[in-house]
Amino acid sequence: MRFALVGNPTVGKSLIFNQLTGLGVEVSNYPGTTVELQRGNTCFEREIVEIVDLPGIYSLEGESDEETLVRQYLDRQETDVVIVVANATRLERNLYLLLQVAEYGLPMVVVLNMVDDAAKQGLEIDPAPLRDLLGVDVILTAASLGKNIDQIIPAALIATRPSEVEIPYDHHIEAAIRSLGKMFGVGRRGSLQALQGFGDDPDLLEAAQTIADEIESRHRMTAAQIIAANRHNFARELADLTVRKETPPPRTDLDSILTRPIPGIPILFGILVGMLLFVFVVGSYLEELIVEAFDIFMLQPFIALGLPPLVEALGTAIILALQAGLGIAFPFVFLFYVIISILEDSGYMTRAAFLADNAMHQIGMHGGAVIPLTLAFGCNVPAIMSVRLLRSRRERIIASFLVTMVPCSARTVIIAGIVATFVGIGAAFSVYGIVFALIIITGLFLSRVTPGEQFGMIMEMVALRRPDPKLVARKAWARLSEFLFIAMPLLLVGSVFLGLLEFFGVMAIFEQIVEPYTMGLLGLPGYSATALIFGILRKEMAFETLAILAGTADLGAVLTSLQLYVFSVVTVLFIPCLATITVLLREVGSRITLAITIYTISLGLLIGGLIYHILA
Amino acid sequence: MLSSTFEDYLEAVLMITENGEKSATLQEVADALDSEVADVEVTTSFLIGEGYLEWVPGDALRLTKKGKEIASEVARKHRILQSFLTEVLGIEEEAANREACTLEHDISDETIDRLSSYLDSGGCPPPGRRAGCRWGQDACTLLDCEEGDTVRVAAIRRPRRNRRLLDLGIFPGEVVEIRRKLPNHSVVVRVKGCDIGISPEIATSIVVESCP
Repeated sequence: MRFALVGNPTVGKSLIFNQLTGLGVEVSNYPGTTVELQRGNTCFEREIVEIVDLPGIYSLEGESDEETLVRQYLDRQETDVVIVVANATRLERNLYLLLQVAEYGLPMVVVLNMVDDAAKQGLEIDPAPLRDLLGVDVILTAASLGKNIDQIIPAALIATRPSEVEIPYDHHIEAAIRSLGKMFGVGRRGSLQALQGFGDDPDLLEAAQTIADEIESRHRMTAAQIIAANRHNFARELADLTVRKETPPPRTDLDSILTRPIPGIPILFGILVGMLLFVFVVGSYLEELIVEAFDIFMLQPFIALGLPPLVEALGTAIILALQAGLGIAFPFVFLFYVIISILEDSGYMTRAAFLADNAMHQIGMHGGAVIPLTLAFGCNVPAIMSVRLLRSRRERIIASFLVTMVPCSARTVIIAGIVATFVGIGAAFSVYGIVFALIIITGLFLSRVTPGEQFGMIMEMVALRRPDPKLVARKAWARLSEFLFIAMPLLLVGSVFLGLLEFFGVMAIFEQIVEPYTMGLLGLPGYSATALIFGILRKEMAFETLAILAGTADLGAVLTSLQLYVFSVVTVLFIPCLATITVLLREVGSRITLAITIYTISLGLLIGGLIYHILA
Repeated sequence: MLSSTFEDYLEAVLMITENGEKSATLQEVADALDSEVADVEVTTSFLIGEGYLEWVPGDALRLTKKGKEIASEVARKHRILQSFLTEVLGIEEEAANREACTLEHDISDETIDRLSSYLDSGGCPPPGRRAGCRWGQDACTLLDCEEGDTVRVAAIRRPRRNRRLLDLGIFPGEVVEIRRKLPNHSVVVRVKGCDIGISPEIATSIVVESCP
């Protein structure tokens, strides 16, 4: 058996999916979290049930990637039962999609989620009229409390009937459905989609286009508008039968502060700067604790053992890698993920997008671009994936460029670990200043030269909610475990490899060759070039490699402040890491990826060189 | 610009030929206009010369593309005026028809458009209460509204590009509330209990009318 979850964005589909399958799918409170099919299995009464989580969409007849994906999935009839998840607090709008899904004629179960929130807003939900009118089972759930989730699978297993609901369309549309049906033998849904220009049969589309034009000239509304209006009106009737509004308890409207320029914009900046400061201060404190513990309890006792030189070199490399990974990267990466998870779950991101809409227009995108740009502070990889919420290729290209320039948590490790520690916190923030200025300049430039059209923002302001600490912790942990289990082994192997090269004197030869160039251009010793190259694998490796090659974690003792500063600026700007390049290739193609890579390398070397030559 | 007589001729041919799909004889046209065949022949030959009408086999007339455009526009004005006169002013059908026949030639396109949207809106006052609102390209849009206004959507320009609006419940006829309007013209509207943030360039494609 296979069941598919369909619903609007942010109705709790992914949360329900997680609870049904026990898998860790990411849950966020903004549209566009799930961009691909997620599949998971669960066992119910010895039967294996496959559950598919489809991306959240507003309509089956739109042109976005997600809408097309879901439409094609339902067209292929690959699922035995469709489980439609709707938000009980916004039922009318959610029923619009539900009615479209019902027209597919697949066996269906309806889940009205967030009934707990609905109750808080003074909404009383009665599923009986909906059950009668749709002719399918309707379950009331509260996924955040886990309430009634266990009823979904049993209901889906016995669901065999499609919904018998039939939306009353305008008589011209009904006539068109009949004519197209007679002429081409298509069903109701096929005709409706053809009238809106969706379908594979060119003859059908042409005929439908003629009829749609005729309808448009009579009504002064497009066929799509009439169809949508009919569905919305029917959804309103259904919603009125289902929801009874009591006088809602008085609530403070946070949006009256968050979406006004004052104090909304200061709050936005406050959150951004506060996030960086918090990660810096708390991160540095944790870092010191862990690094010291490693020094006292592992490194010193190990050296005190007095092992043979090769073993000692290898052992030291491993310990240094662990120290760098756990002690330096861990606090920063983890803290960033916690904060970003809180921001995501609270629903604040859509407010930030609205406030920044105008500013984002200046750099060739719309407000929605704030979401990838903020995510990028955690990690560029999910940020690049979320660039899809921008509609045109032009906007996606600009966003991809800018996202790869945003200092991710790994680059924060460099800024905090090198600049803040050895040069000063003011200097650390000046690195951010330089990077942000470059991002803005790049955006201004790209918005003028990138071909293609620009779409404005049409974004639902999702409900603000208090982030659930358990969910935040789970999400931060899921992202961190990626770091621990993928990055740490890489760090270890790289570290041992470097230790060996160093031991056999290979590094010394390489460094001798590159030293004249790095010295001349950036004023950096040859081994920093090796560190930069290792930074391509993982950005935090640049720091760790530098420490190993310099032979001490106390970099201030071997390099001047200017050298450390230049090294950090170059590393932060220099080339996206391997994981980012991979995801860029998938999202924007090889040409743009190459352009981004070349651009960031040149920018890093240019700015680093400028700083060195001006300040030296 | 054609004189009113010529417009009446084209309109008559349009009616007889049922939207230009059939053809009309001179006798039919003369009957419709209540005049002599000889007079009709003179005028139609002028209209044929100007390229508004053409002969078809069997001594019959047909509208050219150019002629049909004019005729349809006059007929539309007639319909709108007639329904305004009967439905809003309560004038009798027959008298309204005669009155509409006279007015249809002189009324401006702008007035007819406003009259039409007034009738479509079911009698809402036209969106003239704010300065600078004109129908056509400069019609009242979401951007002309103030925070706290409740308005009805009249039309959406570039509907294919703005499909998402439709799916979120912003379509002609729907009532929306302006929740927030930033100095830089980004707006938040509330529709169906949901708040939707909209960029200025999209807000300007949503034509609205004020609402009781």
